[in-house]
Amino acid sequence: MKLFYLVKKELIEVTRQKELLFLMFVSPVIQIVILGYVISTDIRHVPVGIVNLSRGQAAERIIERVRRSPLFDVRLESRHGQDYLDPLKKGEVKAMLVFRDALDRKRSALKYPEVQVLMDGIDSNTSMIAAGYFNGIVQQYILNDMEKLGRKLPLAGLPVFRFNPQLRSINYMGPGIVGFLLTIITMFLTSASLVREKEQQTLDTLLMSPLSTLEIYIGKALPAALIGLVDMVIGLLVVVLWFDIPFRGSLFYLFLAALVYLAAILSYALLISVLSSTTQQAMFFAWFSLMIFLLMSGFFTPVENIPPLLRLVADVNPLRYLIKIIREIFLKGNGIAYFWKDLLVLAGIAVALVSVSLLNFKRFLSK
Amino acid sequence: MGRIKAIIVKEFYHILRDPRSLTMVFITPLVMIFILGYSVSYDLNRIDAAVIDLSQGRLSRQLVQAFAANRVFVVRSRGGAANRSLSLGEAEEMLRRQQIKEIIVIPADLSRRLAARGQAEIGLVIDGSDTNIANLVYQYDQRILLDLNAGLLGAGRLLKLDTKIYFNPEARSQFFFIPGLVAVILLMISAMLTSLSISRERETGSIALLFISPLRSREIIVGKTIPYIIVALLDGAVILLFARFWFGIPLRGNLEVLLLFALLYIVAGLSLGILISTTAPTQRVAMLATLLSTMLPSFLLSGFIFPLDSLSPVLRAISYVIPATYFLRIIRGVILKGAELKHFLFEGGMLVVLSLVLLAAATRKFNRQRKAAQ
Repeated sequence: MKLFYLVKKELIEVTRQKELLFLMFVSPVIQIVILGYVISTDIRHVPVGIVNLSRGQAAERIIERVRRSPLFDVRLESRHGQDYLDPLKKGEVKAMLVFRDALDRKRSALKYPEVQVLMDGIDSNTSMIAAGYFNGIVQQYILNDMEKLGRKLPLAGLPVFRFNPQLRSINYMGPGIVGFLLTIITMFLTSASLVREKEQQTLDTLLMSPLSTLEIYIGKALPAALIGLVDMVIGLLVVVLWFDIPFRGSLFYLFLAALVYLAAILSYALLISVLSSTTQQAMFFAWFSLMIFLLMSGFFTPVENIPPLLRLVADVNPLRYLIKIIREIFLKGNGIAYFWKDLLVLAGIAVALVSVSLLNFKRFLSK
Repeated sequence: MGRIKAIIVKEFYHILRDPRSLTMVFITPLVMIFILGYSVSYDLNRIDAAVIDLSQGRLSRQLVQAFAANRVFVVRSRGGAANRSLSLGEAEEMLRRQQIKEIIVIPADLSRRLAARGQAEIGLVIDGSDTNIANLVYQYDQRILLDLNAGLLGAGRLLKLDTKIYFNPEARSQFFFIPGLVAVILLMISAMLTSLSISRERETGSIALLFISPLRSREIIVGKTIPYIIVALLDGAVILLFARFWFGIPLRGNLEVLLLFALLYIVAGLSLGILISTTAPTQRVAMLATLLSTMLPSFLLSGFIFPLDSLSPVLRAISYVIPATYFLRIIRGVILKGAELKHFLFEGGMLVVLSLVLLAAATRKFNRQRKAAQ
């Protein structure tokens, strides 16, 4: 019961400021919507330049297809082969497509121009995807051309995409956003909470109260957990209703995983709060951890790409497990059989963090 | 000028009094770039695939061989026991457990169909959850099939399509991400440096002293920003050196040009911080606001991870007010392509405009609070 008053005090402190209320409940919605749109935009309108040195019909027809494709934005066209590196250098185009007549035309039965793709390799991902698009256009052209001649390509691949048949990237990224938000909001609310009491010297009042250390600890963590859960529900609603992502799995396990995760992340945030002596320090600490947590979670780029030694860092990153579980539940509708290990590791990390944090908290308060 | 100096000196005391924060300003970005520089990567250099060959003919073996010979594919055609083929069910389970990314199914009547209809289909069951990876896997499949087809048609190569990659011949995504990380980190550090400077004074009450001082609001705002320019610029230089020498990111352009633009960019970040600081009632609000307003926008709407060209017009419009958008273009251009000052006059100009707008807004806000307090 005593605990209730502390939770109430913390909640009052938070809700008293309308700026904070806005940051906690309105901005997540804005962020999710923007995030959703950004990640659901597949790579399109790739700016390219075309240099056509071929005299054949085929090159002209392929170029016509490139022009009409929404995947490309043809910014430059020329029929002279001079210095086509300059537009790449200026960043006007991501790739230059150069068509030439093949020299050994007589030998080949089917005549097509030689095509050279000069890519800006800096954003290697976009470039590779664009090269793939172009490849597809050319192949489709050859296919149609051969059909007219009554010939067929002997082998054809029939792709089926499991778990996400239309390849909507939002289905993969969207649910992860919820984990993302849960982390940002709770981490920043909590990591400064104790520091502020230190800076304003209200800590003594708290210490003289009949509350036990554990109660103070829970009292500090619980309000943030509640806010986090509310944000999570808001996030889930936006993701499912606005972005129309199918939810296939169990809501129970989703919230179970979220609760375990909250225990881990909040005790981590409280640890930061204990270890920092100014708000600025807490802010840098929280920022640093957040960048590592987010960028090593598999949210943006695959975890498998992390080299072995640094994989150890990723292995203790609680967000990684939460995002994995959320994705399993959302995308595949997998049951606990597919992620019990992740849940167990997450629980292990949570227990470790809570004990380290609680220990430090006790030592700090007894000083 | 002498009056501004007083504020600058006072602010320097603040910085030096908290040496732990100052060390963190210099150490954390380096650790971050070290860890993330290795970890954030798109490169797909291994595709685990299961092949289910129901045909077991000459053609199907040739097909399996073509996939196995490709350096990215790791083909698993057999289960635990030797000479035992995977069943479709087993392969589907592996797909579900993320042990493989693709199942290639060769139908039993492959050769018969080819003879009868002149074409036979192969099933490619791809894990579509990560659409990026799914697309790349499908592209690899198509390329392998095209080569096989050309061979079967006796055309040598149907089409000579060769791809050259410039500026980053090995297509290492580090070349893309590390300059991006430098830009994002620099903006966040700058904004964080100033974001607490006024809200701290408000929380401790010392803001009243600033209010009644003879200084103009403009002078206070500018004076509070200048010391951090030095700190952030030093920090930026350290970060750039680290990226250059540790990760071997080449510097193909001019260092002075890069530093000049870095200065403009830092000032924009600091101005954003000072505006947040004058607006936020407490340090806690300032902290949350700084992080939310710098982290996600510069991750998402600046071209750091997602290319801007594909965004919808509304989101593209937002990207024009995000300082990281401009600096990302500049840093990637100067470092990797050797671009020069004249290529980025618009970007540099926009950074100056953004800083001026932010500083003016901060001054106005501060002035109004000052009037209200008196």
